[in-house]
Amino acid sequence: MTGSICTAGAGEEVTAAPEPGTDTAEMAGEAFVTLCTNDSYAKGALVLGSSLRKHSSKRLVVLITPQVSDSMRKVLDKVYDDVRVVDVLDSEDSAHLALMERPELGVTLTKLHCWTLIEYTKCVFMDADTMVLQNIDDLFEREELSAAPDPGWPDCFNSGVFVFQPSIKTYNQLLQLATEKGSFDGGDQGLLNTFFNTWATKDIHKHLPFIYNLSSISIYSYLPAFKAFGANAKVVHFLGKVKPWNYTYDSTTKTVKGDAHDQTLIHPEFLNLWWEIYTSRILTLLTEHGVVKDTSTGLKALSGLVCSLAFSCRFCREEEVTEAVSHMCIAAAAPPPSPPSISSEERRERWEQGQVDYMGADSYDNIKKKLDAYLQ
Amino acid sequence: MPLARSLSVTSLNGLDDWDDDLDLENSILFEVAWEVANKVGGIYTVIQTKAKITTDEWGENYFLIGPYFEHNVRTQVELIEPPNPAIKRTLDSMNAKGCKVYFGRWLIEGSPYVILIDIAATAWSLDRWKTELWDSCTIGIPWYDREANDAVLFGFLTAWFLGEFAAQCGDEKPFILAHFHEWLAGIGLCLCRVRKLPVATIFTTHATLLGRYLCAGSVDFYNNLQSFNVDKEAGDRQIYHRYCMERAAVQCSHVFTTVSQITAIEAEHLLKRKPDVVTPNGLNVKKFSAMHEFQNLHAQSKNRIQEFIRGHFYGHLDFNLDKTLFFFIAGRYEFSNKGADIFLEALARLNYLLRVNQSDITIVAFFIMPARTNNFNVETLKGQAVRKQLWDTANAVKEKFGKKLYESLLVGNLPDMNKMLDKEDFTMMKRAIFATQRQSFPPVCTHNMLDDSTDAILNTIRRIGLFNSSADRVKIIFHPEFLSSTSPLLPVDYEEFVRGCHLGVFPSYYEPWGYTPAECTVMGIPSISTNLSGFGCFMEEHIADPCAYGIYILDRRFRSVDDSCTQLTSFLYNFCQQTRRQRIIQRNRTERLSDLLDWKYLGRYYMYARHMALAKAFPDNFTYEPHEPTAAAGFRYPRPASVPPSPSLSRHSSPHHSETEDDERYDEEEEAEKDRQNIKQPTVSNMTQVPEWRKRSKKGSVDAGNSSNASNASTPTNPSSPSDLSSPTNSLIEERN
Repeated sequence: MTGSICTAGAGEEVTAAPEPGTDTAEMAGEAFVTLCTNDSYAKGALVLGSSLRKHSSKRLVVLITPQVSDSMRKVLDKVYDDVRVVDVLDSEDSAHLALMERPELGVTLTKLHCWTLIEYTKCVFMDADTMVLQNIDDLFEREELSAAPDPGWPDCFNSGVFVFQPSIKTYNQLLQLATEKGSFDGGDQGLLNTFFNTWATKDIHKHLPFIYNLSSISIYSYLPAFKAFGANAKVVHFLGKVKPWNYTYDSTTKTVKGDAHDQTLIHPEFLNLWWEIYTSRILTLLTEHGVVKDTSTGLKALSGLVCSLAFSCRFCREEEVTEAVSHMCIAAAAPPPSPPSISSEERRERWEQGQVDYMGADSYDNIKKKLDAYLQ
Repeated sequence: MPLARSLSVTSLNGLDDWDDDLDLENSILFEVAWEVANKVGGIYTVIQTKAKITTDEWGENYFLIGPYFEHNVRTQVELIEPPNPAIKRTLDSMNAKGCKVYFGRWLIEGSPYVILIDIAATAWSLDRWKTELWDSCTIGIPWYDREANDAVLFGFLTAWFLGEFAAQCGDEKPFILAHFHEWLAGIGLCLCRVRKLPVATIFTTHATLLGRYLCAGSVDFYNNLQSFNVDKEAGDRQIYHRYCMERAAVQCSHVFTTVSQITAIEAEHLLKRKPDVVTPNGLNVKKFSAMHEFQNLHAQSKNRIQEFIRGHFYGHLDFNLDKTLFFFIAGRYEFSNKGADIFLEALARLNYLLRVNQSDITIVAFFIMPARTNNFNVETLKGQAVRKQLWDTANAVKEKFGKKLYESLLVGNLPDMNKMLDKEDFTMMKRAIFATQRQSFPPVCTHNMLDDSTDAILNTIRRIGLFNSSADRVKIIFHPEFLSSTSPLLPVDYEEFVRGCHLGVFPSYYEPWGYTPAECTVMGIPSISTNLSGFGCFMEEHIADPCAYGIYILDRRFRSVDDSCTQLTSFLYNFCQQTRRQRIIQRNRTERLSDLLDWKYLGRYYMYARHMALAKAFPDNFTYEPHEPTAAAGFRYPRPASVPPSPSLSRHSSPHHSETEDDERYDEEEEAEKDRQNIKQPTVSNMTQVPEWRKRSKKGSVDAGNSSNASNASTPTNPSSPSDLSSPTNSLIEERN
């Protein structure tokens, strides 16, 4: 455990003793931490960072895995104070060993790395698919481990937003638990709930109000409550398989397009806000750094997105960004985006996501040609 | 027990020019639809009513293929062993590989064989099949669209079945014909072609997916039909994959059909293929033995509606019920698609016209469109209670009166009229009358609406101010629930209600077929439809003067909304001008059109489509003559011989009326006979005796009464001129202006 524990009042900064390796004098003891494992989550992290910047003056740290492209790292660097690459496979410590035994816990072990940020006295971890709506600096008054209940099982906390205290000791204990018992849900939330198993019963002060981690699914699963209290929300968490960056956004109407059956679109305000931040503040950064290529020059075939929660993913994506039909693409692996020869496999996956390039490669004329071959 | 193959179809002509080489003995027909023994929407009605004539034609060789759902099977299917050995081998082979395929008889008229496939049993193959679909057609299916995924499973299983069946037939090699309905069955068709199965395929759309979506989104649909970027519209509406499945099926089918001329135009632009045949939907017409039975039923049902009106308008019964006409609109609550908007507007104008002309006619317009309600409202129920009370009071007084009269007669005296009713009776009657007084107008809506303030119909009524006041000649009753014979308000079922009304009004904007006006016609009730509904188009083609037959067809295609509304108003006003006798004559004429809507007649379009498909798939074995699109039209009812029923005064406003003959001559028998000849062959009785009906041809077919001889009601027979043979397609492909 590191020495000082912050017990000070709101806004007061407790400065830890400067540690070797930190170069800035105004080194703060408190920080918001997030994690991204690929370029699409990096987009989430950028929006989160941008929303934090707007509402808070704390330091912002992002942990990234080697799968995040170089150009994306540069963009992250513009928004975050501290961009750290975490490579579990490269690490010398027990995390490597843990991974050997439980390979499915890859992302989880990366997330646990946040406990090694011992130059900070206290941190708030936030998932890359969250977005801040109001100032939440009062979270730093809370103790480890403070979190909001999970909407699916309120006796467990949701690990999308939690207050913690970096400590190598805790980190090692967590790793040990991971190696020995694994996680009951296969992810970090199961592991952390096992480790901090008294959260539900012991100290009500460690229960963050739900508005600090408002799951987007609660909007439709308990609509009346959302109508009554939704206006106070401080952090929204886009739970679920379809993330904000998977939607298509119409910048002219400033609305997210989507399937009518999609319940999350009953109240699309948060999604729209996410996209507003993305288009107004993030997109220019991405374009400057060549992560997003304006493909009005010709290549427009890249569209849709292969969304994957897995460790690594290559993906491309189309958005309607400007009034003109300008298509952007984000290529993950190579800094200069390679020509968009998407594999058939990827195209199919995009259909399955409902992201069809119906004006391009997937137009009916192409299907017609294919079918005509059988009709000879 | 083998199904009997009836020859009743031969009572219809128009088949003989192509069916002489159609070998049904060695052909097998499969009809594939998601709604086989599974009621979801309107397709069920089509398939269920059509089963009888198809079984009559194909007998043992007709099989319906649908999805297996236990609750459906329990109530409407009797599972049996397949009598056909090849089918049995096919089922056994598939079931051995993990499928669950059932065989049975569908317990409807005609009891056709059904093959029901449990798609849930093979859901584990979904991903593999989606991969195959992607590889062969490059159509992907989003994981969240359950219906589309079901369509993939169903499609792959039907294609598997057809492929297996073709293989199991061995050397018999029958000609396999598969008829697919709607996009949900479409994948099966595409796979038949992709796998090059020896199957002749027909695809029928009952409406296009995109058309439905576009119309629901209040787009100026018909004027922009040519200019839609279909890929983009479908993609923007998130139905691209469904649209691709539909269009792929259309593209792959040997023969593509739709249900009406208007849907044909829609399909041509939205699915980019002109239908080969238009196959209109029919009904199973029940013939009454007594000739004017339907008129009696009308009177009976009308009395029940009148009773309801007496209660509903208590305290405001200042109009003559004998001079009251009942109009109605019924269907799904789609305010503008079903034309409720234009109907209300026309009613407001009609009200004005009737008032200005000091007409003694009253109109009660019913809106039967289910919406969200909190059950009946108190005022409406009270109306019926008040009526009941008056009836009881009158009966009580009558009893006493009768008793006194009886006693007086027993002793041989004529009754003293002054003593027949005493003070008590008068008090009772006065009290009853007092209860009928009310300050408020009779309610417009019979139920408590949940969305009262936002309801489209109610808001329009508020705007046009038709609140059932005494001065209004047009009264409105909005019944936002389906009718039921157990209702405390209006205890009639839908059929009875329709029979009791005078006119059905269906001014729809989007209506691929339109069973409601067809049902009216069969029951002898005149109706108003539009030239944007399949029914309207069909009738316009087959009848020279539809108005005279009680088929009013509103022009909503080539006129502005305001003009259409004016036309609707004039239809309604003209209808009001008719005398009782004229209405009876008109109903007789309307009812005679039922033959035209009977599957016995309309089934021929399906036959034609099947023949064409066989000829296209197996050109060596079958041939068909493509018909000149400009050739003579099909069956056409001429103008009725006698004078049209509406008074000559109103003629100028209704362009369709004949201007000839002014005498009041009307001979029901004579007219009916002439009409009948237009659809049935004179030599019916001979034909049915002949077993080899297919060979009987080129004999006594009816000259298609095209416009040149339409006024001539006679139907010359033309023994030897094939060019005059009326054929289904001719009337369909005929260019309409």
